[in-house]
Amino acid sequence: MDRALSWLLGGRRPLASHLLLAPAAAWMIVFLVLPAAGLLLLSLAKNGPYGEILWTLSLNNYRRAFDPKYLPVLLRTLGFAGGTTLLTLLLGYPLAYFLSFRAGRWRNAMLIGLMVPFWTSALVAFYSWMIILGKEGLLNAALLRFGFISAPISILYTSFSVLLGLVYFYLPFMVLPLYGSLEKIPRQYVEAAYDLGADRWTAFRKVTLPLSLPGVIAGSLLTFVPCLGDFLTAEILGGPRYYLLGNLISNQFLMAQDWPFGAALTCLLLTCLVGGLWLYRRWDDQA
Amino acid sequence: MRHGRLLSLYCMALYAFLYLPLGVMAVFSFNDAHRNVVWRGFTFKWYQLLFHDAELLGALLTSLELAAAAAAIAAVLGLLASYALTRHRPFKSREGYGALLDAPLMMPEVALGVGLLSFLVRAGYELDFGALACAHALICLPYTVGAARARLKSMGESHLEEAAMDLGATELTAFLKVTLPLAMPAIVSGCLLAFTVSFEDFVTSFFLAGIGIVTMPIKVYSMMKFGVTPEINALSVLLLVATFGLLALNAALASSRPRRDGCGP
Repeated sequence: MDRALSWLLGGRRPLASHLLLAPAAAWMIVFLVLPAAGLLLLSLAKNGPYGEILWTLSLNNYRRAFDPKYLPVLLRTLGFAGGTTLLTLLLGYPLAYFLSFRAGRWRNAMLIGLMVPFWTSALVAFYSWMIILGKEGLLNAALLRFGFISAPISILYTSFSVLLGLVYFYLPFMVLPLYGSLEKIPRQYVEAAYDLGADRWTAFRKVTLPLSLPGVIAGSLLTFVPCLGDFLTAEILGGPRYYLLGNLISNQFLMAQDWPFGAALTCLLLTCLVGGLWLYRRWDDQA
Repeated sequence: MRHGRLLSLYCMALYAFLYLPLGVMAVFSFNDAHRNVVWRGFTFKWYQLLFHDAELLGALLTSLELAAAAAAIAAVLGLLASYALTRHRPFKSREGYGALLDAPLMMPEVALGVGLLSFLVRAGYELDFGALACAHALICLPYTVGAARARLKSMGESHLEEAAMDLGATELTAFLKVTLPLAMPAIVSGCLLAFTVSFEDFVTSFFLAGIGIVTMPIKVYSMMKFGVTPEINALSVLLLVATFGLLALNAALASSRPRRDGCGP
């Protein structure tokens, strides 16, 4: 027994490594890889009149995803994901810059401070945004009080509230990779630019910004791709008129009982994910 | 200098944006008014109501059990896997394993949820607590692997186990007496992260809970469907406090790691 375990731990043979990794890998395969493969298969099936699954394989479900009834949802999802990426980049870059160049002794506290909303349940945070943005909410009350509006306006359940929720949730996903790449820039490079007569703006434009590009790409990918599959934000802050792809998928499984179509939509989402990762890897290898 | 001032002000505003919902919720959980968001005076009554809500306490218990089960599974699987990944002689498919174990982080939650739902139902498996615990263990695994991996890797550079084995210990003894105690803070920290991930998870549970299982986030969600009430505020604040507590414990663990063991950064 002792010898067998020592052999496993010693790991001089690949077999020992495979054995130690087997339970975790099997877990991944059973609960992640097989279900994903199952979705792929299911997406080729046909939905019967009573919600049963007919195994006449075709690509009809994929064709249906692009018909005029559902296309707006796909386009809206792309638009929201793109908008969120752009906004978090614009809002987050100055913060990441501050964190890596200016924050000094505040840096650790600020980094932890950034992680706290990231770790708190999105459900709870979005609920609070409902209080703030609702018809009787704080924002409406404030706008009325200061005379910007004369009657409460709809802020919740609009495209604005969905975008706000997405930006709120995904900001740390953008800032942390940005910070990571800004942090790696040797300070001498920037100083050298100053010594050679560059002003702040030129030094930033010609040295810091190009060198932080890996962070921009990583952050954008980490924001854009999860945004495509986001479910909770529109579920709580959007309402049916602003449903995104994630909500459409969820509806096919839980309400419409059209699993094959839902599976096809999920496969489209996973294709985007794999495509994004592939692009990133290719770009990373070149850089 | 003015640029610097402007930038710090901007960052403060951004943090205010991030913390605004949390603050608003906390304040209104003490508000003595049922629907309105106007301040009507201080009260503890929403918190008192929570503690008398049997359904809610049941949901809390379910969530705690679920998180404990998921964290325990993820901790054991994660420790074995990260040991092989960091301490074994490099082998061919090591990178592949690493990517596989990180996959739940990249997988959209909705895809994971509907994938597991259709897979389990098609396989004829009843959606029960066990199924949900397995799914939660899956999403927790990257966190326990990540925590243990970093620690085991830095320990590998200190050759302490080699010293133990030079003194006659077998690999098993060295593992039990040297590796495990030194890696313990990271293992516990991974467990805490995993526990938090599971305790807070809504989307996976939403798809897999069926009708029988009500976790805390699912309970919050179903309360929200009936509208905004101060009770939910109070509940959310308690959830936040629990999360902060777990994270603070985690941070304390990280900073209390022995510095003179030769394996710190």
